Formats: sequence, structure tokens, C-alpha cells
Amino acid sequence: MEGHSHGFGLASPSWRANLDVVVTVLIARLKVISRYKGSLVMEMFLPVVFAAMPILLGVAVGGANAGQYFQANTGTSNFKLYMLIGACTFSVVSIMLWLVGYWIRREQETGTLESIYLAPARQVYVLTGVTIYSLLRALLAFLVSLVIGSIVFGVNLLEGNVLGAIGILMLGLLPLWGLSMLFGAFIMRVKEANSVINVMTWVVSFLMGVFFPIAMFPPLLQWVAAIFPPTIMNDAMRASMLNLSTFFGSWYISLAVMFAAALTVPLVGYGVFTFTGRSVRRKEGVGQY
Amino acid sequence: MSSIIKVEKLSKTFESKERKKGQRRKLKTVQALKDVSFEIDENEIFGLLGPNGAGKTTLIKCLTTLLLPSSGKAWVNGYSVLDEEDSVRASIGCMLMGDRGLYWKLTGRENLDYFGALYHVPKAVRRDRIDKLADLLHVKDFIDRTVETYSSGQKMLVAFAKSLINDAPILILDEPTVTLDVPTARELRTIVKELNESGKAILYTTHLMHEAEELCNRVAIMDHGEIIALGTPSELKTSLALDDTLDLDGVFPAKAVEAVRAVGGVTQVAMKSKNGGKTSLSIISRSGGTILPQIIEALTHNGATIEQLRPKTATLEDVFIAKTGRTLDVDTRQIVVQRGESGGGP
Amino acid sequence: MHTFLDMSWKTILEYSRYPVAFIAMFAQIFLIVFMFIFATMAFRAPGEGLSNQSTFAGVMIYGTVTNLLLSFTLWDVGFSIREEQVRGTLESLYLSPARKFANLVSRVFVVLLWTGVMCVFAVLVVAAVVGGLPFDNALLATVVLGFSISGFLGIGFIFAGLTIKLKESAQLLVNGVQFFFMIFSAQFFPFAALRSISPAIVDYVSAWLPVSYCVDAFRSLLVGLPAGYPELAPLSVEIPIVVVFGIVSPIVGYLIYKRAERSARRQGNLGEY
Repeated sequence: MEGHSHGFGLASPSWRANLDVVVTVLIARLKVISRYKGSLVMEMFLPVVFAAMPILLGVAVGGANAGQYFQANTGTSNFKLYMLIGACTFSVVSIMLWLVGYWIRREQETGTLESIYLAPARQVYVLTGVTIYSLLRALLAFLVSLVIGSIVFGVNLLEGNVLGAIGILMLGLLPLWGLSMLFGAFIMRVKEANSVINVMTWVVSFLMGVFFPIAMFPPLLQWVAAIFPPTIMNDAMRASMLNLSTFFGSWYISLAVMFAAALTVPLVGYGVFTFTGRSVRRKEGVGQY
Repeated sequence: MSSIIKVEKLSKTFESKERKKGQRRKLKTVQALKDVSFEIDENEIFGLLGPNGAGKTTLIKCLTTLLLPSSGKAWVNGYSVLDEEDSVRASIGCMLMGDRGLYWKLTGRENLDYFGALYHVPKAVRRDRIDKLADLLHVKDFIDRTVETYSSGQKMLVAFAKSLINDAPILILDEPTVTLDVPTARELRTIVKELNESGKAILYTTHLMHEAEELCNRVAIMDHGEIIALGTPSELKTSLALDDTLDLDGVFPAKAVEAVRAVGGVTQVAMKSKNGGKTSLSIISRSGGTILPQIIEALTHNGATIEQLRPKTATLEDVFIAKTGRTLDVDTRQIVVQRGESGGGP
Repeated sequence: MHTFLDMSWKTILEYSRYPVAFIAMFAQIFLIVFMFIFATMAFRAPGEGLSNQSTFAGVMIYGTVTNLLLSFTLWDVGFSIREEQVRGTLESLYLSPARKFANLVSRVFVVLLWTGVMCVFAVLVVAAVVGGLPFDNALLATVVLGFSISGFLGIGFIFAGLTIKLKESAQLLVNGVQFFFMIFSAQFFPFAALRSISPAIVDYVSAWLPVSYCVDAFRSLLVGLPAGYPELAPLSVEIPIVVVFGIVSPIVGYLIYKRAERSARRQGNLGEY
């Protein structure tokens, strides 16, 4: 074995070495998912299926007047696009929670977490690779589902401000990442992670008002939902694409809340996540599953 | 020679909930490591020997920063495991017991590339090194297949390659031959010796005493979280020089074993079950040659059938038996009888 | 019988050691129901309260009951084999002399018990929100449900067999099949809604699925057979379909399962995951 690059010194890597970690983690994950093509395809169609159910439910309830009644309750008669946006946005939230929040657990399940912790690469760079990968998957799923859904339901995506909606989505991803970290910290503590995730997924979709405006909630629940970053994101995206007003009434307030969330939630989330990781390491070690 | 690993009074306590039928769950404290202290020199193969549950893996995890100790200190390559974790990790290559640390949907090569990046090994160097490791470990035939298609032995070989990817000065191997067949295990031990000769310090845990005897410059024997003996294999065996070991195969009823225990000069008696309902009895005694007739009489007068009798030179397992009164096999297979007044002490 | 009781007890014991999962499943049902209730509210005519929607709510929630039963059958019976494969316990299970049918049946018993409790919970929640649900023809509806469950179990057995072969792809298939039935057997909404989108879907897809008749007959009976219900065919046609489905499906399902198991044992990949 040649004596090049012994362990000594690699504890203080250069920015190139750290970037190499990020890129390698990203590429490895892309390779893995490329070998699960069926899952990728399912991810594209799932939002369309989810949107189909309330659409059909609505048609059953409202009949020929479904659009009219929907407009009276929400401000728009385009209930198909309304549901589709909600379902696609929810898929982004769900993918981020699963891929980012659950990544430690998944590494535990596959038995690779200890190997990752044994390496000197800082967790933040591994996490960055995982995050970029998750973002790419989430955005791909969002865009493709939106297009497929528009074809299936016969809605015109370009009626509203699509670019504005995408901009809101990008801004909303930051607090979403922070939430995923909080989620991940919780999962590290709780052994029965799968059932927790399943119910959390529905809690999130409920609070987001995926299929209805949160104005329909009782007042207290409205405000709880309103400060939940994915809710604001969903609400603002629908407002952008359907020319609706936001929950807060004015654009500026919605944006301000989103910016505040983008600044604070990631920091809090990451802090809690690393604290929990250290605590778990102290008590039982990282490999325990 | 300076120490490359130094451990000072390292302890680790776990809390777990004990669940017994009909009772409320109780909090149970398990002390997995108790004030463990030792040093490993550069260029040494240091063995950690002990039965399942002795604390070997807990100790390894503390040294590799996977687990934070409850108290005590340790330094790896001069870096503290408590405060300089990144430097410790950069100084070691590690293969944990039953290592499942490979991604199924990646090939062996892709796995090695991935983990090489986590060790900050430059890309060009990684590529070269993976090829060399593939040659060294004879994994070229399958390294470009996804891990999900590997047998358990193949996975272990790639996991071993993973521990070498960063060419660290210290190698920590936790029961690396456990799922390998005999020829592959032998080959791996040869490679371990070559790696040591090339300048690596190796911490090698095993519960197979012949591995420890073959490979290790020094051996620490662990039991119940403590080091109960430490030295070179020959030093440890010589410590039994005053004691003789007699191995008998046959059928030994309980009263026969009790009778042997009562023979003056017998210090330890341990029984191992074998196939076909037969047992093997290990009798450690002082000057076994003189008391052999009494031992045989005690056995045969109490219904024992002796099929084979073998006086033997002491092995590390005998050292373990002398210290603990038990064999290195898993507890459920042991049938042990101890002399109360002299059993278990170092 | 002894094996059945032992294995049922083992499954119950396993479930009881996951209290969070227990509570999470109830919470999940609660949230799903409320999501659909709120979605429905967004389509109601101005000034119309939920209390006028009891028939519609009944159609929705009784259809949801069939969805829950089918989903849990697919996952807990069909996919449980996959879980055993991944955990590495499948081969141990097969090495034991316990009858494999007892193994499957014991899972069924526990799953049904558990799912039944959740269905009752879901119905009570909706009844509380809309101020009461219709509950007519209970006896006949129970008989229809019994044969429907039997038919769903046959589908579960088929999936158990497919899982042995497909391994990790099985999860995808189970997801896909679940969603297929959700839409094309109109488990959450009346067939009229599907027909308004495309009559061909109902005539050429839904009408060919036995599960559709299970859903339609069950909920139509419970909501008191109002005008337009059942939606696919008269009750005198739907009930025999459900009965035949309930008898034939588990037999066919089990035969397919046994065949897949035998094939895996022949090829030596029973424990592979």
C-alpha cells in the first residue's frame, strides 16, 4: 500500500474535500434511486391520485354547481387546479420530511450509519448532500406531477403566476428543511418511527389545508395552521396561481412571515438535531435500531 | 515504542428497561466497561479476547467515537476521543462486527468510492486505491456488482476493504472473520499480518483463541467489562505453568464432576457439550501428573465413561478458564463447575 | 388450532409493544376523515350545513370502511411476508413445523380485530360531526361485509405470494393496487362522480371489479337504499357477485400463494430480500 494521504491531516480538510463529500453523497443517492425507477414513477403520479379524490368528492357533492359552490367558499371556481396545487405542494413537503428528516433512521436501518459516523467527514456536509438530493427529487416530483395533473384534469397551469409560485416554493424550502431536522431529531428519539411518520404526514397535510382553505378551521386552529411554514407556502402558491388573496390578506405579510421562518426555523431545527444526535451517542451509540 | 492508543479508566454504563412477566418494567443499569486501562504500541497487533457480552464491542465503539464513555479517557493517535473526534476518526480504519455498512443498491466499487470521499481521500487516489484493494482481497470478480447480490462472505471482504480505504495508521477490526469460510479467514489473517508489517497498529477483537494466538503480539482478555489478564500469549500461558490442563472426552454425570472437584489439587473444572450427547471436561490442577490416578478414580467410581484423555499445553482459553471458571463459548452451551474458594481470581 | 392461537398471540404481543403505533393509527384515521370532511365542506352550497349531508357522509364513510379493510389486508397480510423476509425471520418461520396456513390465518384474525376497531372509530367520528348517520339493513350489510372481507383476504393472499417473488418491488405494487381500487372502486365517493368524469371508466373498469360491488352493495344497504343506490347494478345482482367473490377469491388466492411459496423453495430464495 502506498503511503499517500494517511489519516493524519485529513481531520482538517480543505473546502475542496468538503465539496467532494457533498457531491459524492449526492451522486451516490442519485445512483441508488435510479435503481428504483418504479418508486420515482410512483412519486410523479401520487399527487395526481391524491388530487383526484377530493375532486371526485367535490363533483359528487356539488354536482354541476361544484365550481360555483367552491368559489363561494374559497374564492375560485377552479377547484381542480386548487386541489392539484395542494397535492403537489404536499408531495414536496412529504418528500423533504421523509428524505431529510428520516435520513438518519434510514441509515440506521441499512446499517450504514455507524460507517458514516466513523468517517471524519462533518455531518453537515453529508447532510448537505442529502438535502440537495432531496430538493432535486422534490422539485422534479412537483413539476412533473403538476404537468401530468394538468393534462389529466384539463387545467391550464399558465393562467396564473407560475414563476411566482415557484419562487414561493423555493423560499418555503428553507423552513421546510428546518422542520425536517426537527422531525429527524424526534425520530432519533422514538423507536417506532414509521408509525409516527405516517401520522405526521397526515397532520402536516391537514394543517396545510391541502384540499381546503384553512379559513374553514375553528379560529384557534386557523392560527396554529397559519404559523406552520408549509401552510403559508401552500396558501401563497395557490394565491399566486389562482389569483386569490392570501390568508394574511396582503402579499407583504405572507412574504414577511415566510422570510422570518426561512431565517429562524433552519437554525433551530439544525441545533435541535445535532444536540439530539450527541445525546443519543452518549446514551446508546448511533448504531442502535 | 510510543503508545498509539492509550486508555485510562474507561467506563461505560447503560440503562435499559427490564421487562419480566407479571411485573412492572424496571430500570436496569448495566456496566458494560469498568475502569478499563491499557496501551497499544505502534506496529503492534493487540488482541482483545473474550466471550460474547464481555465488553469488547463497547470498548471499540468508545475508541472509535461511536459511543461516548460514561467516565475515563482515551487517546487514539494522540487525539482525545472526547474532544478531538474528527482527528480520531481520520486516524483509524474500522470494521465493526457483523458490518452491514454497505449500500445494497450500490456496487462494491461505488461503496468504496463513497466512503473514501467521507474520509477525504482525493478522487484520483481513491480510484487507484480501490483497484489495489480489489487485487489484494481478490474481490475483482464481484466488485462491480451491486452489494445486494453478494454472499455474506463477499460483503465482509468489501467491508474489510472499506476499513482500508483511508490507509489509516490504526486498524480496528471487530471479529472480522466471523462469517468467512476457513480458507478466506486464513487469507484475511495473512493480510492483517502484512498490514502490520507495513507499519499499521492493529486492534483485533475475537472470541477465537487460536486467532489471538496466531496474530497478536499482546492479548487482553476481557470479561464482564474488565480486563482480567494482559500480556503476550506466551506470558499468559506461562502464568498457568504451575497448573496443568487435562482434557477428557466422554460421558460425565454430575456426581462424577463433583467428585473430581473435591480431589485435592484440582483448581478448576469446566465442561463443554459436544455433538452426540458427549461432553468434554477440562480439569486444571496443580501438578496434574501426580493426582491423575485420583482424578480417574473419582470419575470412574461415580459412573463416568472416559473415552479419551489428553494432557495438553495451556492455551489462552485455559487462561480464561483459570481466571473465570468458564469457557469462551456462548453461555448457553456451558456446563460449569467451580471450586468456590479458588475459582475466578486472576 | 394451537398454532393459530400461538401465532395470533404472538402478533397481538408484537403490536402491544408498539403503543405509539397503536395511537398513531387512530390519529391517522381521525385526520383522514376530517380532511375529507373539510374538503366536502368546501363544495357545499352556501348556507347548507353538514347535517343535510348525512346520506352523502354515509356513502363516504362506509366506503372508507371498505378501503380500510382492503388496505390493511393488503399491507398486513400481503406485505407481512415481505417484512418477515427483510427481518430475516421468514426462513425461521418456514423451518418450524407450524402450519403456514395457521400463520396466515392468525395474521388475518388480528388484522381484522384491529381494523374493525378503527372502522367503528371512524364511523363514530363522522357521525358526531354530521349529527348522525343512516344505519339501515345492518344484518344484510354485515353479511355482505363478511363476504367482502373474505374476498379481500384472497387478494391479500395473492399479494403474499407476489411478495415472495417480487421482494422490494412488492411495496410499489401494493401502493399502486391500493390507489387503483380507491379511484376505480370509488371507495371515497359515489360512482356517480366517476361517471360524470367519464361513463366509460365506470362501465369498462369499475363494473368489472368485484371490489366495486362489495363497496356499492355494503354502503347502499347501510344508507337505506335511497334512489339511485346501488349505483352499478340491482342488489339482486350485486349480492351474488359479492358472495361468489367471497368464496372463490380466498381459495384462488391461497393456491397462488402456495404456488409462489413452493417455487421460492425450489429456487432456494425464500429468505432473500
